[in-house]
Amino acid sequence: MLRVSAKATNTTIDIQGISGDASAAAQGIEYGPELMRFAESLARRNEPDLTAARKDLLEAAGPGVLVDAAGVAANFQRMVRIADSTGIPVDNLDNPLSQQIRADLGLDTFSSARNSLAITATSS
Amino acid sequence: MTFSYTNSAYPIREDITQAYQAFWHKLARPGAWWSGAQRIAIAAEVRNAVECQYCQVRKSALSPYTTPGKHKKGNLLSDTAVDAAHMIITDQGRITQAFIDKAALQGLSNEHYVELTGIVVAVFSIDEFNRALGIPVEPLPQPVAGAPSHYRPANLSTDTGFVPMVSVDGAVGNERGLWPTGRSANVVRALTLVPDALRDWFNLASAQYLSLEGMSNLVRDDNRSINRMQMELIAGRVSAINECFY
Repeated sequence: MLRVSAKATNTTIDIQGISGDASAAAQGIEYGPELMRFAESLARRNEPDLTAARKDLLEAAGPGVLVDAAGVAANFQRMVRIADSTGIPVDNLDNPLSQQIRADLGLDTFSSARNSLAITATSS
Repeated sequence: MTFSYTNSAYPIREDITQAYQAFWHKLARPGAWWSGAQRIAIAAEVRNAVECQYCQVRKSALSPYTTPGKHKKGNLLSDTAVDAAHMIITDQGRITQAFIDKAALQGLSNEHYVELTGIVVAVFSIDEFNRALGIPVEPLPQPVAGAPSHYRPANLSTDTGFVPMVSVDGAVGNERGLWPTGRSANVVRALTLVPDALRDWFNLASAQYLSLEGMSNLVRDDNRSINRMQMELIAGRVSAINECFY
């Protein structure tokens, strides 16, 4: 969805921000490095890093951005667990954009990839 | 009053507070397959899981299914239910069809598992919101007495994922409006064996992220301080760290 939303606004971004590259996160996304680090420290459950990331994001972007970023991060802590605990496959696995993103980010190595790729292997 | 956030250093949007209060209200009451007390016990296991030493050991093991040990847990739920709740929080990427089938043989039916999953992920996301902002977690509510409804949707299919789900064209009758846009992705169908679990995640997602209708706005929601690209950077980074392929 990052690529799709960037395309909708004709913004050039570097998707490697999702992989944790701070300079990539900065490309085309306001407060990208701060948002990336905040999300990362929450998901990694690294409390010292989270405290520092919260402070940095607050100072850079203000409380409104911090609270909304917390909401989105919390939302996706839920969504990944719904997907993996019910074993749902990706809906659009054959979509070229989906395939490109999987290749760019190396997603096929994730253990939960079997829920989608096993189906492809079975049906091909 | 729950979720008052009066001591928060940051103003919390009213729709977030209301969504959390509404979920806490439902959490305390009987669901489709669990009593109010059991639902609150499931919520408590979310908090036990994040501090569970056995879960940490198991997470680093080559296989989660051959590692002996005991969870940090309460005493109201079966060991199978506790194990499922902890696995969803700490090692969800290694949940398999075999894990769920074995749980069913041990008494955790698919219906119980799906409702449990809905509670676990909802409570976890609310707790994570607080943790993100350095706010202590909300005390769990007191249970309300009553019996579960045992409601099961009529139009289920077993062709997707590990558990039965409402079929793509099955959102009719009592399930009418489950996917208000008329289109249903697999993640929307995932918890529909217990339709209220989907309704709960819609309500929370509408406050924390975007409504299902709002997701079609790829630029910016007027009621948010961050644009869609900023949201998706956060979403992508959280999902990548959790190794979520979906």
